[in-house]
Amino acid sequence: MRAGARRAIAVCAAAVYALPLVAALAIAMVEGGRVDAWRRLTSDPQVPPALLLSVGTALASTLLALLLALVLVTHLHGNRAWRLFGRTLGPMLAVPHAAFAIGFALLVMPAGLIARLIAPIAGWDAPPHWPTVHDPWGIGLVTVLVLKETPFLLWNLTALLARPDVDAAVHRQLAIGRTLGYSAEQVWWRVVWPQWLPRLAWPLAAVLAYGLTVVDLALIIGPTSPPTLAVLAWQALLDAGATRNAEGAAAAVALVIALLALVALGAWSMRGWKYVAAVRARRGERAVRWPLGARLVRSGAIALPAVYLVVVGVLAAMSWVGVWRFPALLPQLWTGHAWQQVLAAPRALLDTAVLALGAAAASLVLALAWLEGAPRAWQVRGLPVVMLPLVVPGILLASGAYQIALMARVDGTPSGLLWVHTLVVLPYVVIALAPAWHSFDRRFETTALALGRSRAAFWWRIKLPMLAAPLAAAFAVGFAVSVAQYLPTLFVGAGRFATVTTEAVTLAAGGQRQTAAAWAFAQALLPALGFVLAYAYGLRHAQAFAAAPR
Amino acid sequence: MSLDLVDVSIRLRERVLVPPLSAHIAAGEVLAVMGESGAGKSSLLAWIAGLLEPPFEASGRIMLDGDDVTDAPVETRRIGLLFQDDLLFPHMSVIDNLLFALPAGPRRPRVERAEEALARAGLAGFARRRPAQLSGGQRARVSLLRAMLAGPRALLLDEPFSRLDAARREQMRAFVWAELAANAVPAVLVTHDRADVPRGARLVELPPVAGGDDA
Repeated sequence: MRAGARRAIAVCAAAVYALPLVAALAIAMVEGGRVDAWRRLTSDPQVPPALLLSVGTALASTLLALLLALVLVTHLHGNRAWRLFGRTLGPMLAVPHAAFAIGFALLVMPAGLIARLIAPIAGWDAPPHWPTVHDPWGIGLVTVLVLKETPFLLWNLTALLARPDVDAAVHRQLAIGRTLGYSAEQVWWRVVWPQWLPRLAWPLAAVLAYGLTVVDLALIIGPTSPPTLAVLAWQALLDAGATRNAEGAAAAVALVIALLALVALGAWSMRGWKYVAAVRARRGERAVRWPLGARLVRSGAIALPAVYLVVVGVLAAMSWVGVWRFPALLPQLWTGHAWQQVLAAPRALLDTAVLALGAAAASLVLALAWLEGAPRAWQVRGLPVVMLPLVVPGILLASGAYQIALMARVDGTPSGLLWVHTLVVLPYVVIALAPAWHSFDRRFETTALALGRSRAAFWWRIKLPMLAAPLAAAFAVGFAVSVAQYLPTLFVGAGRFATVTTEAVTLAAGGQRQTAAAWAFAQALLPALGFVLAYAYGLRHAQAFAAAPR
Repeated sequence: MSLDLVDVSIRLRERVLVPPLSAHIAAGEVLAVMGESGAGKSSLLAWIAGLLEPPFEASGRIMLDGDDVTDAPVETRRIGLLFQDDLLFPHMSVIDNLLFALPAGPRRPRVERAEEALARAGLAGFARRRPAQLSGGQRARVSLLRAMLAGPRALLLDEPFSRLDAARREQMRAFVWAELAANAVPAVLVTHDRADVPRGARLVELPPVAGGDDA
């Protein structure tokens, strides 16, 4: 295929993706920008405390997750423990946010496992009055966000530090710094982080946006009166009254403004922090070694995957619990009742899977068209648009997409759902696929063409098979992201479609512990299946290449 | 100050790269180690600095002024290291690179020491520049100043002149040997260029690599 035709395909893919996306966001911004809506919003007494909660939880969770990720890398990088720890990142990322939050809430709730472990020591015979779930300060929400975003930031840091140029530079800077009398930890904080951290701007913005605007986690474990601003917006947008809807739209726009302000604050504090790091580096103070701290951090590194293991274990166990009197450590009666309810609704399971397969496939096709057809300069310039769904408030995107679906008369239909899921899945598929695509050796193409084969033959018979493993991985990522969607399903599905995620979140917010646990476990199981299949497929492919005669 | 190597030997799995080597290097003296690439020269320096990583293995003792530092962590040995690349921190100004190396203390005398050092190297007025704004020869000199300002008890030089062009190389050699003598620091130089070896230095040649393999 000629370059012109390839570019045309890339332009088509970009248009299919970007035009409705931008239109959806524009509509939501216009709807939420009306004066009367803002008058209602600003006169609502719940809004100021809700905004404060949203900003507070977003800032606290982003800063803590960043700090935790940096401390872990600083103390673990280069150790044998680091490689082991690195292998736990994938499985931790694969656990959906909602499933994790539900499991975590079940663990820390007053009648949860932790309280039962303390009960014999404290002499409790009734659950303590812990405000651990729906606490009014958002501590539970911040904790879940930190536990869930730290692996994400670590994964981004690992990818950055694994690049050959960065790895070599960091390695030599550590050597030089240490021969000058600094401990490795000091070199990380004074030399390495100030230099490389700005590269983490996009993931950090995504974490900040997620923490500020998340709805499903806030419904599961967040404060309730008042809730966060995103939840207020969600409630108002789902209301039957038009004026309430307008207020919700305005709240979504308020979240955008808050996000922009926080991003500006973040950029400013990054500069401030770099300045402070430079001042400290100039002072020349050498470390007082603190081996206890290093050991603490190393145990912390074990604790993170351990928490995930416990949370998933609690989900699995809780879904079989019948009668469980406090403070007994084990239930008195196990029952399959919750799972019967799940299996009595096979449509939700089936819809989730079919929708996720469709969205992953559609995203993969669009991503391939873009990566293959668009010149590198376009790809660099188009990146902010590709990443848009990751950094705009989910509630803004979902409500805008609903308006577009209404106009196209696909609201509440499978095709509408497929479209909106593709929209949110695509950025992840591009992120997963781009490194493999960009590092593909171009000489294979020259070789194939020199052998007299067509470009099409090269593409189908050489490039696709060679990149089969990253393709499978990207498909599994897309599948997982689709399964985990809450707001898009709810809005564009017009409440007519249930998925494992909508069921789990609704039941958890309604306090239906066992059934919520069963649905949450199913929500975690589906993507895990996808990743295992993709991994097995990738392994088989790697073996096929290794076995090929050289 | 003095550096003693006692039966120092470097192995890569079964292969002996550096056969047992003993040397006494007095203050201001230079031990030059020559050998082809892959002969283990850099590994020898990495081990003396405390930076040798598996699969390389080493045995022997390292004594600094009579102290055994063989098992001390890198950051407490106070052994400086100079590579063929200057490895200045790119995001810090020239003077910040030097201040990073100077021992802690009151601000004013530290800045004065850094500025004096720059003047000595003919780089007065370059303090606020970024490393990228300097020529290769200027960067190499700043890199040496940085290593010296940390107050090392010994300095290791890993082909420090090989990246410089011929004209700058002679100038840099003279500058390095003068700084070492002035600060009375013992040094180990590894190189494959005989012209790098200063007059009066002790010379050790490593055995050729078996099979000429460029490992």
